[in-house]
Parts: sequence; structure tokens; C-alpha cells
Amino acid sequence: MTEAALERPDGPQSPARPAKPPPSPLLIGGVLGAVAVTGVAGWAIDFTLTPVIEQWSTLTMILEEVVHPEWAEITDPASRLWTALMETAAIAVIATFVGSLIALGVALLGSKVSAPPGVYRVTKSLMSVIRSLPDMAYALVFVAVVTGPLPGILALTIFNVGIVAKLTAESIDAVDHGPLEALDAAGATRWQRARVAIVPQVLPSYASYVLYVFELNIRASVVLGAVGAGGVGQLIMLYFNRADYPRLAAVVIVIFAAVIAIDLLSQALRRRLV
Amino acid sequence: MTPATATRPKPPPKWPYTVAGLALVGVVLAAGWSLEDARWERLPQFPGAIWQYAAQMVDGVLTWPGAHPDGQADPDLTYGDWWLQALKLMGESVALAWIGTCVGALVSFPLAFLAASNTAPWFVRMPVRTFFNAIRAVPEILLAVIVMLPLFGLNPMAGAMAIGIHSIGSLGKLTLESIEAIDPGPVEAVVASGATWWQRIRTAVIPQLLPETVGFWLYRFEVNIRASAILGVVSAGGIGALLSRVLRGREWEWGGIMLVVIIFVTILVDQISAALRHRILHGADATAVAA
Repeated sequence: MTEAALERPDGPQSPARPAKPPPSPLLIGGVLGAVAVTGVAGWAIDFTLTPVIEQWSTLTMILEEVVHPEWAEITDPASRLWTALMETAAIAVIATFVGSLIALGVALLGSKVSAPPGVYRVTKSLMSVIRSLPDMAYALVFVAVVTGPLPGILALTIFNVGIVAKLTAESIDAVDHGPLEALDAAGATRWQRARVAIVPQVLPSYASYVLYVFELNIRASVVLGAVGAGGVGQLIMLYFNRADYPRLAAVVIVIFAAVIAIDLLSQALRRRLV
Repeated sequence: MTPATATRPKPPPKWPYTVAGLALVGVVLAAGWSLEDARWERLPQFPGAIWQYAAQMVDGVLTWPGAHPDGQADPDLTYGDWWLQALKLMGESVALAWIGTCVGALVSFPLAFLAASNTAPWFVRMPVRTFFNAIRAVPEILLAVIVMLPLFGLNPMAGAMAIGIHSIGSLGKLTLESIEAIDPGPVEAVVASGATWWQRIRTAVIPQLLPETVGFWLYRFEVNIRASAILGVVSAGGIGALLSRVLRGREWEWGGIMLVVIIFVTILVDQISAALRHRILHGADATAVAA
């Protein structure tokens, strides 16, 4: 096809091709801002990737050890690993149960659908303060009172209340108002409205949030152990400090398998719920 | 009287819920029982102790920054120095989270195209998806302890890389899901005009995808700021290392100052990021004039 064939006689059907709009100043500003922030952040933490090349032998050595774990740690049901893992599971179960129960109440106080305006504003800002502290900080404070699994349970419970209450409150904000109006017309109290019209509507999504935090808890309890709040994290720090890589590798493999198994299980359950 | 008014429908049976509820309580009690060294009898001590610690933390926060704290080795040390140090380390945490997010975003974005069902064949998709799932299953702290600390030493780069690698998994999954959810119309249009795979991605997929993806990146940045505080505990940079040392040493006044800085900076970054995400996803408000 030649150029001439593509050209069409002038007329109203052949307007000039519209020009591409120039990028908006906001976009340019945003990109420049992101680049600037990245530059400053990289400078602040001395960004470098040279160790990846220089320490390549360290990396291969680590990988070598990870693929040759201490199998006895995994196969022996009486090993420290399984004891710690059971402890982690128990901590996660208790924290999820208690945290989710409290969270349902807090969520009802934290939505404008179910609580008076003053109450819901105060609850909301309180929750955002509680959420902004890492679970680690709670664990560190609680460990000062008593060591062992108890501070871990309490720290995770608070963490769970924060997440489940926020998500559930958002679901409550979005409930169908029909049943609520019907109850209001019949003169229901706040408690009756919550029990009859709100909770049944949000129950499926609430249940799926609970499963979601249960997944998070397994991961988080690994972290909490690192500050002495019990469970498998404590074991990881022990083996790390002893540089016992084969045992550490065994722990990592089991945690990896457990997290994937629980993910799959809770995904299947959640698919049924929602 | 018609039969319709006589038979009110029966509510569904409640016993399955009762059984499930009791089973759940049983599991929780069994879990509590299995924790032999949980020392439940110490539970009542918590409110009193926490109240006392909190009071000291508030004291520390409310003290004039020029004052000198008691019992410190350095007599010139002021509360202001504590504030400055907390801010500096929190800045390092934020920087580390940002770099980690950048690493996650830059690596996950191209990989997501190799993992979505509408842009990649199954034999490419499967390994990439497995890779995403695998790295998501390893908590950041494990990555830091096992790979990054030996590699980078006890410094913020180790934390940034641990966060970055972990973010690849979650960002990759979110991005691939939104690639699969795009409108197929524009893609069909470009395919009909004979576009190559690359042209299809560039002109029909990426423009649809970009706002949502940038939103995910910002969201991940918020998550990573929280994660970076934790990584400090294993000395992978940021405010966590000092926080853990100070709280373990029961220096509650200083600890209170650090916690206030963490809360303040986290909420501030969340607010900025939420505003940016809203602007990116929903465009300018009706009041703002489009440029």
C-alpha cells in the first residue's frame, strides 16, 4: 500500500488526527517526587547491591545448607521444633478466638450504622492508634511483665482486634439499610438492631476476616518469638544465634509448609463463606 | 381462616451452629491447656503493670525536651536528644520500607505479566505463580535472618532486601489478579489490527492496569513501614533495634517517646498514601480542574 492510497480527499470525514494530550503537571510532579524520595531513601540506607556479587559464595553456602536440613528435627515428633510449632499453633488459635470476639463488639462501636456519632468517631481514632503500633512493640512491653507464651497471646490478640475490627466496621458501614429501617420502625433498641439486622448481614465477611487473621497470626507468632514471647520464633533466634544452619533450615522448611497448608485451607473455607 | 396464615415457616434448625460453636470453644480450651508454661495466673497482673509502664511513657513524652533524664550515664543527655534519635531511626525505617517497596514493585510488575492467564501461556504461568506463592509464605524476618543478614551484614540494606523480596510475592499476586480483571475490549482491538505481544501489553494492558497497580504499591509501602519496625529487632536496620533494646531495659520514658514517634509517623504516612491512592484511583475531585 502506498502513501497515496492511504491519503483521503479532504472533507469533514478526515479531520486531523487528535494530538496526544501532554502529561499533566500532576503526573510529572508525582514521578519526579517519587524519584526524589527514592534517591533520598537510597542515600539514607546506603543502597548497594555489591554484597550480592562479592558475597556470592556466602549465598551459595546458605542455599547449600537450606537444601541439606537436619531431617531428624523434622521426622522426630518429640523434637524441639514440633513442641515449638504446637505452641505457636495454640497461641494463634487462642489469640484469634479472643481477638475476634472482642473485635466484633468493637466493630459495632466503630461504625456509624450501629453506634452514635460520638462513640464511633472515638472508637475509630482509637483503633487507628492501636493499629499503628507494630505487634512487636506490644510483645516487648508485655514480655516485661511476664515471659513465655502469655505475652505473645496478648500481643497477637490486640493485633487481631485491630485488623478484624477495622475490616468488620467497614462491612457494617456497607450493610443493606432495609432491615435496619424495618427494625427502627418496630421500635427496636440499638442492641436488637445489631443482633437481628447487622450481625447476620456481616457474618460471612466477618468469618472470612477471622480466617484471614488466623493466617497472619501464624506468620506473626514466628516474629513474636524473636522477642521472647514463646513459640517457634524463639527457636529460630536460638538456632540463629548458635549459627546452627541445618536446624534453622529444618525450621524454615516446616514453617514454609505450614503457612502454605493453612493458606490453602483457609482459602478453600473462605471461598465457601463468601 | 386461610391455610396460609396457619403455617408460619419454621426457622432453620440451630443445632449445627451450637455444635460448631462448642467444638470451636473445645479447640480453644485444648490449646490453652496445651500451653504448660503460659502462667495464666499472672494474667491479672497485666492491667496494673501496663498502667504503670504507660504512665511512665506518658511522663517521658510530656517532659520538656530540654530537661535531663535521671540516672543516665551522660549528664548532657536531654529528652530532646531522645526525640531526635527516635525521629532519625524512624526515618531510616521509612527509607528502608520505601526502597523495599521499590524493589518489590520493579521486580513484580514485569513478572506479573508472565503469571496472568490472559498474557502468558500456562507453562510460563505456573512456575511464576509458584514463585510468588513461595516467597509470600516466608515471613520477612526469616528472609532477613537466613539470607540477608549474612549477605549484607547488620545494616538497613538487609532489611530493605528482606522486605523487597517478600513484597515481590504479594505485589505480584495483586498485580496478576488485576491483569486478569482488565477489560478485554481494547486488547481485542489491538489484536485485530495486528499488534505483537509487546504492543498489546504496552497499549492495551498497561494503561488499564497502572492506576490500580500504583495503588497497590502505595498500600504495600504502608504495610512495609510496619514490617520494617519488626526487622530492627534482628538488627536489620530501622527503629526496631533501639526500641527493642530500650523496652527490654525497661527505660519506659524513652520507650514512650519512641512509640509516639512510631505512631505519629505511621499515621502521617498512611494519610498521605491514602490521599494519593484516592487521587490516583478516582481522579481529581469535581472541585479540582483537570489539567
